Amino acid sequence: MSAVLKLTSVDKFYGPIGTGVHAVQSFDMDVMKGEIIALLGSSGCGKTSALRMIAGFEETSRGTIELAGREVQALPPVRRNVAMAFEGYSLYPTVTVGENIAFALKAAKLPTAEVDAKVKEVTEMLEITDILHRYPTSVSGGQQQRASLARALIRDADLHLLDEPMGQLEPQLRTLLRGRIKHYIKERGLTTILVTHDQTEANALADRIAVMEGGVLQQFATPQTIKEAPANLFTGTFVGEPPMNVFEAQASDQGGQVQLDLGGGLHLTYGPDAFAPDVRAMLLARKDIMLGVRPYAVHRETQGAEAKVIANQWLGDQSHIAASFAQGTIVLVEHDRADVAVGEAINVRLAPKDLHVFDKETGAALSHGAKMA
Amino acid sequence: MALALENIVKAFKKDVVLDGISLSVDRGETLVLFGPSGAGKTVLLRLIAGVIEPDEGTITIQGRDMEGVEPEDRGIGMAFQNFALFPHMDATDNIAAPLTARNMNKTGIKSTVDKIARMLKIEHVLHHKPKELSNGQKQRTALARALVGEPDILLLDDPLRNVDAKLRFEMRLELPRLLKDQNATVIYVTQDYKEAMALGNRIAVMNVRGIEQTGTPSDIYLTPANVEIARLFGDPVINLLDVTPFQAEGGVQITLSGVPLTIDAGYLDVVGRDCIVGIRPEAIRFVDEDSAEAIPLEIETETPLNEKTVTLGLTLNGREIMVSRPAGTPGPAQGTGFIAVDANHIHLFDRTTGQRIDPQASPAAKAQGAT
Repeated sequence: MSAVLKLTSVDKFYGPIGTGVHAVQSFDMDVMKGEIIALLGSSGCGKTSALRMIAGFEETSRGTIELAGREVQALPPVRRNVAMAFEGYSLYPTVTVGENIAFALKAAKLPTAEVDAKVKEVTEMLEITDILHRYPTSVSGGQQQRASLARALIRDADLHLLDEPMGQLEPQLRTLLRGRIKHYIKERGLTTILVTHDQTEANALADRIAVMEGGVLQQFATPQTIKEAPANLFTGTFVGEPPMNVFEAQASDQGGQVQLDLGGGLHLTYGPDAFAPDVRAMLLARKDIMLGVRPYAVHRETQGAEAKVIANQWLGDQSHIAASFAQGTIVLVEHDRADVAVGEAINVRLAPKDLHVFDKETGAALSHGAKMA
Repeated sequence: MALALENIVKAFKKDVVLDGISLSVDRGETLVLFGPSGAGKTVLLRLIAGVIEPDEGTITIQGRDMEGVEPEDRGIGMAFQNFALFPHMDATDNIAAPLTARNMNKTGIKSTVDKIARMLKIEHVLHHKPKELSNGQKQRTALARALVGEPDILLLDDPLRNVDAKLRFEMRLELPRLLKDQNATVIYVTQDYKEAMALGNRIAVMNVRGIEQTGTPSDIYLTPANVEIARLFGDPVINLLDVTPFQAEGGVQITLSGVPLTIDAGYLDVVGRDCIVGIRPEAIRFVDEDSAEAIPLEIETETPLNEKTVTLGLTLNGREIMVSRPAGTPGPAQGTGFIAVDANHIHLFDRTTGQRIDPQASPAAKAQGAT
């Protein structure tokens, strides 16, 4: 399958090229037809600049953007065949919400019956059928956001760009609408890029997530890969809720066993065969490492390292436990209601297969479980 | 009892915001006021703080009637979602403000501020002005200021609303210990159900009609008083389907997508009544096609939700159902799946009033439960 969208060495400078603020740095990305991509990062990471360059609202300082076989970086937005739901690309205030949503289809001279059917379908999905006759300024921010999303999703375009599409939705609707929107997009095979700061939204919707920080693409991979093999400490701790537990550790060879010293008198000891030979060699050669373990991978067991519970919070469908461990805190997730009291001593096991090892200086991943990164 | 409100009424012109609110909080307890904006949560806090006076009713703090007592004499500490720090003062002076106001000596102030700053991990930014602080540090500074005077009552108005997700999570785990160490009596306002469940010894669910249910997190989640409360707690939101219980050979039953489900015999009284059944997404599991009471579900899509996988599907009647299961456990991603509902974990509500209907503990129901 070939790429619908291809970004090659794309740079964005605000100010002169080379000396201005380097907001997006040699950004490469291929997006396949029908894929949903999330550009994920905190504010100022460059994700919105990247999206706006693809849309044509920002000049591309350097590099090329190919969309559906054409170079588009020099084209104005209207000639790129891109459908957008954006902040600052707001609804036309002089026509109703319904007319806003139908606008592009009517302009393309689709038969009225077909337009009406499509409007009905997309607005029922987003639960805004009751505001179609109203004007944008008379509806709530959340409704405007959904109307804007409907206006983009109803269109047939080479690419759909959605900027923080669900930021203002009431929480009770969010998970349901994510499911509906994903189904709608997949059923029609729309190629979609969404920008979000919310890793939960990215994980829920995207086939692949592009994690950005400081203008640099940190990792571009499936949610599964990011969870199991984060490229670096930033990605590992940014994606996932609760966030990954991270500890400084010192590795040493204790009579054939690998010992990880986490400080505070806490040692984790692993048998001679716990790690693959190359991982073992790396640990012993590096000595000082950062050790990461995801909360769902920490298990309470009768044998294991000691920890003392400082919080046990039941959220209805899962429990979050925090316990003092080594010199810091370790967080566990359990799907049942955990029966441990604050102050209680527990034992936790960190299995070799769940350990992520990162370079202490650069944060780059060195190994994930049994495999070298 | 640290705090008691009795029949509080407050109106702004003709707009009655609070109409007969009663509430009590024990010493050392954290009570969460949970509800949508516009329910009057903040007005209630302002009344307790003494910034505004109630039209009717009494407020008692530590057994003392607060009528006519000035805000600064009520023994209250406060922190807000917008931090409300003094912009021209550094973090130290912000935190020290309540102590300075009561003329504590300089050495005393310094050691008290240092102690609380260490506890909140902001000792390294104490000389920074608010504009030099991150939102997380501002929030901690505001919290330190609220705690430093060792108030009898701590009022926290959605303090984690404006901090990022990671810090919010961290603070959610840390706060209970901090509050316990201070033995603070806390009223905590939030619109986030997870925060409410994690932090509250009890939760008071408030909406425009007043306080609709007060109880422990378990009470609220496991026995929500009405449909609206059931919807407010839980992610994904609870599945709600119209049903009319009927009597059959196997006992009292409801029909889900054409498949009968036997429910608690104690629901005998509601046979023939129009009801709504509430089924939490985690109370549904995927089963084999030939399992008893298996309900076919056309899978629309799967969306990961943190440590869960959420499946959105349609029943034969075209009704949406969400199923949630621990990530990594098996379940169909497309095509037709089959689900089973745990009859012990359903919630029944009256369709007209939305009020919860509990099964009657009839002898028959007890006998069935015993088998």
